[in-house]
Amino acid sequence: MRTRKVMVTGAALSAVLLASACGGDDGGDANTGASEPGELEGSVTMWTYPVMADETEHRSFWDDTIAAFGEEYPGVDVTVEIFPWADRDQALTTAIAGNSAPDVVYFIPDQLPGYARNIEPIDPYLDDDAKADYLPNAVEAVTIDGQMVSAPILASAVTLTCNKEVFDAVGETEYPQTWDDLREMAPAFKDAGYYMIAYSGDVSQTLNLTFYPLLWQAGGDVFNEDGTDVTFNSDAGVEALTLLQEMVEGEYVAEDMLTAMPPTEQTQLAQGNVACAWHTEGKNLVEFWGEENTVILPPLTNVEQVAYGTVGSLAMLSSADDKDAAGAWIAFVTDAEQVATYNEASGFLPVKESIGSLYDGDPILGEAEKYTDLTTVGPLHEDAREIMGVLAPEIQAVLIGQKEPRQALDDAAQAAQSVLR
Amino acid sequence: MSVGTLVSTRRRPSWREARIALLFVLPCLVLFVLFRFGPTLAGGVLAFTDYTIGADTSFVGLENLRRLSEDPLFWRALRTTLTIAVLAVPLSIGISLGMALLVRRAFRGHRLFRSIFFLPVITSLVLAGIVFSWIFSSGGPWSSIMGWLGLPDQAWLSDTTLVIPAIVIVAVWGRFGFGMLILLARLQDVPRELEEAALADGANAWQRFRYIVLPELYPALFFLVVIETTFTFQIFDTVYVMTSGGPANSSYVLVFQLYDQAFRYFDFGYASAIGLALFVMTFIVAMIQRMTIGRER
Repeated sequence: MRTRKVMVTGAALSAVLLASACGGDDGGDANTGASEPGELEGSVTMWTYPVMADETEHRSFWDDTIAAFGEEYPGVDVTVEIFPWADRDQALTTAIAGNSAPDVVYFIPDQLPGYARNIEPIDPYLDDDAKADYLPNAVEAVTIDGQMVSAPILASAVTLTCNKEVFDAVGETEYPQTWDDLREMAPAFKDAGYYMIAYSGDVSQTLNLTFYPLLWQAGGDVFNEDGTDVTFNSDAGVEALTLLQEMVEGEYVAEDMLTAMPPTEQTQLAQGNVACAWHTEGKNLVEFWGEENTVILPPLTNVEQVAYGTVGSLAMLSSADDKDAAGAWIAFVTDAEQVATYNEASGFLPVKESIGSLYDGDPILGEAEKYTDLTTVGPLHEDAREIMGVLAPEIQAVLIGQKEPRQALDDAAQAAQSVLR
Repeated sequence: MSVGTLVSTRRRPSWREARIALLFVLPCLVLFVLFRFGPTLAGGVLAFTDYTIGADTSFVGLENLRRLSEDPLFWRALRTTLTIAVLAVPLSIGISLGMALLVRRAFRGHRLFRSIFFLPVITSLVLAGIVFSWIFSSGGPWSSIMGWLGLPDQAWLSDTTLVIPAIVIVAVWGRFGFGMLILLARLQDVPRELEEAALADGANAWQRFRYIVLPELYPALFFLVVIETTFTFQIFDTVYVMTSGGPANSSYVLVFQLYDQAFRYFDFGYASAIGLALFVMTFIVAMIQRMTIGRER
């Protein structure tokens, strides 16, 4: 089912790219303002978030980019505001409702459907070469109803990460590749005083990072092909949740993150008591485990081998006053050269073919880069987040022993019926 | 001269005096209408629409309320909210009263104690929530205390039953200082002569409290019951920080559902319907309290 979905989306994507290519110069018609950079005037406000952990470095990057843009577009005044990740949707929705929204916003794919009606499709503002240079999965991640609604700027691959120090302590020389490997290895790790995996089960955690990778690996998916119903309660879903249940009941999972999200440094994972995890990028664990112990591995395999990977993108809100200026800014920032600089500075993966490999030989990002083809951004559905809201507590109910997987998933599927619009 | 005589001889304010008084009240009234009454009214109207950001809004009649009545999560959140209120309000007021009586008399350091007891009120509940998350975690101070008492080492916030008492403890901790202050102010007005006379007549401490102090506190207690009930119905920060409504929705409260619907799912019409239900519930409870406790004033 998943393969078919990818094929259908791929066909739509091809149509988008083909239409762009065939359109030739027509693509620029929607950009109704001044075509010469020197003539373009206006002001652009962009909201982004701490994509780079170092705020000074991040601020400096955008200041430099604004200066470079200003040389080409002297009539356009750009302001970049960096907001915290927390409650970003609340801030943005309030701003949109209050007519004080920015012109350009950084989004990840699962936000896009919710804001789709507030977003100006970016297609007309990007030239054909720029669009053709995007990796297909990056375009797929930002395409809604056959249109690119935002311009990708970065990607990530959240695969399996294991702690070499723990494996050495247990005397295990192989890393898990399949679900069966996890099951077989787990008792030895428990006997040695370690947890086999960490599972971030807090309901505020996106299921794209936690349960959905297992669901996809089992061959299942969240929605049916036309998005009219949920399918996470399929046999594949039950198999995925049963694996989690087995791991929790066997005491192979660190309990501290099962229902809450403590500060990372306080977790068993950060303290080096957990062998592997798939809910966070390996680069985030380096500061706790050390680079020498952080081993980036391909996604686990069951029926399929797949993991979550995000695609960060810049979208123009339809309320933008100077759309041509905002479009020019987005086109400038998502140009291959700018994207490469941004990716390297932020430690994210490239989204453009022409950039090639940015981290060749890097044990962390270089390894993650190898697996981008095995990632998906998760369901692009208007109700995707609300569905997580009904499913996550049911998964918790299984993890704390209140329900069986089948019952929990069926209950969530039933609750989802009132959510699907 | 009796109180009745005093009341009957009180002069009615002239129109000029009333206008001056109104002038003083006006800024506050304008702000209240603008930022309290206005949004409340707007929320009430939105509850009958399908308002979501960026889309056309249409009137949907009672659809949101019908959906609410059939939403099991709403009823669960309502039950959880009421449970927290039933536990937290009497506990908070009881502790407030106890603390007010303790620091009522002047003793060495009584001002310091009053300040310390009031400190949680001005502490950010978000910050408190983070600290209490650690306190209630497995292996945290709370589980150590439980261990000393011979009870199992358990992460309260991860237990579907214990999570509610944990939230109640934090809510009470954060509020008892306010209640203490209100009751303390009222206690200062209790005539000492009455208590001294009762003491001379042989009344013990409980009798003096029951028949002299407590009746004087009724207005303040009624005020506290209403305020604390309203506050507890609106509990959100601590739940958001400590449990995110979990585990398995066992601490999912009404305001959390409202927040989720509005800011996670952008369903502002439905969120407003939850807000309307919360408003009606608070209003009814306040009226019941007024008719029962308030009558005893």
